[in-house]
Amino acid sequence: MLIELSKGITLHPGSFTAVIAPEKKILAALNSNADLQRFLFLYVCGNYSRILSGISRTSNNFEVRRPFTADQLLTVIHEASHTIVFIEHDPTLFDGAERLFVPIASALKQTGREAMVILWAPASDRSFAALIRQADRIIEILPEGPPPDRFGFSSQRSCRKGGVVPRAQKTLEV
Amino acid sequence: MWILDSAFRSGGVDLWHKNGSVQKIHNEYDPPFYLHLPDPDLHHGMIEALEEHYRAEPCTFTTIFGDCKGHAVFAGRPVAEAIEQQTQFAAQLFNVDVRRDQRFMAERGIVPCCADPADRFSPIFEHGLNRMEIRIRDDPARDQTCSDIEIICGRTERLHGPERDVLADLFGLVAAYDPDLILMTDADRWMSKLQVRARALDLAMPFSRSGKYRTMDSRSYWSYGRVEHKEAALIPDGRILIDTEQSFVYREGGLAGVLMASRLSGLSPSLASRFTPGTLISSYETYEAVQRGIVVPFRKSDAEVLRKFAALKTADRGGMMFQPEPGIFEDVDEIDFTSMYPSIIVKANLSPETIGHPESQQRGFLPVALEPLLDLRIRTKQLKKTDPAIAGIDAILKWMLVTCFGYTGYKNAKFGRIEVHEGITGRSRDILLLTKDITEAMGFRVLHGIVDCLWVQGSPVAALQERVNRETGLLTELEHFNWIVFLPLNDGMGAYNRYYGRLSDGSVKVRGIAARRHDTPEYIRKMQGDMLAVMGTAATIEELNRLWDQVNAIYRNALQKLPYAPVQEMRISRRISRLTYAHRCIEGAAVNAYHKCGVPIAPGMKIRYVVQDARTYRVEPDWNAERFDTTYYRELLERAWKEIAYAFRAGRVSNTEQQRISVIRVEQQICAKQPEYRDAQKM
Repeated sequence: MLIELSKGITLHPGSFTAVIAPEKKILAALNSNADLQRFLFLYVCGNYSRILSGISRTSNNFEVRRPFTADQLLTVIHEASHTIVFIEHDPTLFDGAERLFVPIASALKQTGREAMVILWAPASDRSFAALIRQADRIIEILPEGPPPDRFGFSSQRSCRKGGVVPRAQKTLEV
Repeated sequence: MWILDSAFRSGGVDLWHKNGSVQKIHNEYDPPFYLHLPDPDLHHGMIEALEEHYRAEPCTFTTIFGDCKGHAVFAGRPVAEAIEQQTQFAAQLFNVDVRRDQRFMAERGIVPCCADPADRFSPIFEHGLNRMEIRIRDDPARDQTCSDIEIICGRTERLHGPERDVLADLFGLVAAYDPDLILMTDADRWMSKLQVRARALDLAMPFSRSGKYRTMDSRSYWSYGRVEHKEAALIPDGRILIDTEQSFVYREGGLAGVLMASRLSGLSPSLASRFTPGTLISSYETYEAVQRGIVVPFRKSDAEVLRKFAALKTADRGGMMFQPEPGIFEDVDEIDFTSMYPSIIVKANLSPETIGHPESQQRGFLPVALEPLLDLRIRTKQLKKTDPAIAGIDAILKWMLVTCFGYTGYKNAKFGRIEVHEGITGRSRDILLLTKDITEAMGFRVLHGIVDCLWVQGSPVAALQERVNRETGLLTELEHFNWIVFLPLNDGMGAYNRYYGRLSDGSVKVRGIAARRHDTPEYIRKMQGDMLAVMGTAATIEELNRLWDQVNAIYRNALQKLPYAPVQEMRISRRISRLTYAHRCIEGAAVNAYHKCGVPIAPGMKIRYVVQDARTYRVEPDWNAERFDTTYYRELLERAWKEIAYAFRAGRVSNTEQQRISVIRVEQQICAKQPEYRDAQKM
């Protein structure tokens, strides 16, 4: 059983893999792999999931468990007995719970010995970086297309006469 | 023993009680926390060390799920946290973070603000507190000291002058009058400043009866989808100090509300006045648990159960709403379920330990704990109709019961669980659908419905109410509207939460329109208020339509006088959710204006500003504002007018066109008569 994240990038069972990838990419990987329906799949997310609603819900083996605190996440990982454990990273779980970075990272590694453990985030942050210290693999897939405009809109629209970025736009950088 | 303050000090609990004079009783108190290990043999070395260095005794304690074997450890939170680390978070800990003064009182059945603990759930009580009101007229955001204070304690004193004299007089009056209760404007902002200035001026600050103060840190936090800010606080020993501006509990419930919150939560009134209803209900549950010998978990580690996708989708849907048809309706009744969610918790036996088998004979902790609170609310709701003094208590009970539902799904709630939350909303949806079916089966027309209330047209409504009460097993209240307006959304469909109407007692009930919103400038609020007052005189839609000219005149008058209105009436008050903004906006400009003035702000704080030029995002804090952008405020005025005009046939038929014409006409008149108006517009 393999999950092909992108051409040439596959995830293997018996490993803890950290994935930084755009939402569309990860959704496509989960939805396009019919094999996943044959395995026990646990989807773990916090209170607000970015992709849960986009996942195909046809499989009976697809289960969800939502921890709302880092302590609950630790319990969920300890109790997981699925073939695939997919965790959507939620940094808000770790507000004031930095003490759990190491235990959760160890639990992910431990569970990854038997299952395919995937910790996914669309972008890295402090808590994500702390959790992936024991990961077997770290995969980062950049969004396709040109790098995003830091001002968030086309320069043609934003520029006034003379084609320079007006001083007022500095507020957009803060 | 009427306790007005409590604190944990010097290895014991200080209880300040009033019996003629106020006295302090110090009680030695060294409570243990409880430890349960799934595999104690694995940690025998740690247990031996705990027994050797602290006091650790094997024992059995009770959780809401049943009895549990473990140890009572006579140590504090640092030891508990060390145990967590050492056991790799396998240890389950209880009663680690329960406030020790609250725990002391709960274990001994002591109730603050109550002569007899048996009266804890009584809505009627007396207190012999002598009070002092301190109104500081300086601005707490900008001024570092007080120079203008009004003190009310029997007589009114006005202190005005040099800082040292003012502070010396203030401290002198507090020391001489020795009040049990101090009501102070922005107390939490002022107290730390007063302490600094008192030290600098070598004055003794007499607010604390022991000379000691407890501190609370400032913080910003999320609550119901918005950021709130809590100021740091300096709380004196032996006295009640209430911040009359910042205290939500005082604002909603007055002094009676604060004292009732203290009674129920087992916290001192000074603390109860500073906590949110959510923290109060959480404290109430903690007090109830300790009183019943149930331990309180330290960490929330029991996650929701495994679920299939479909099951999650079915369960996680929230409350039920029926979208209204926009328009004005005559003779409408609102059927409102009294404390629907708490009633469901109690009636359906919903609690973390009963969620899998709510029909079992064993009642859960939450229903048992909430039942007396719910009964009290039902009583106060009745009593306040004849005794306005009960209104404050009723308001606090209402807020506590509202949040008790939200807390079942809150991640840090000690006795919450998401399945309980979903169980409550699931049952509420069934109840509202059942009520709708009953209503329609009896020939009524359902106009609108939001979670726990329905708006219906038809008769006899008393029979409908009786049947709904009987079939749902819940209590309902009726309110009759002579007429009610459901406003439209931009797409023409009815808005769920924007309506107003005339009740049968002649008052006008308003929700979601400018007059009700917190960020509406006073000038616009006043205009809409005046219009609603006029409309409140109409008992039928026909009579209302006859008032069109009168109401329209109010609008035209407000529009005409807008350029000459006092700048302070254009003040917009808004709670900020952040300090940096990705895009230019009025709120972001207001935050920058505060920064420029050197006024520290934090997310969740309220800021007050006046828009000077919306086009260039020029905004000034209210104290600096000298002019305002008439075009911007005219748009706000028009928006408020549209909400009212919609109630009238003339306003509904060609709302937009009519207003455009009338605005142009009025503007032309103003411009013709008043040259200053043109200048004001250019500003």
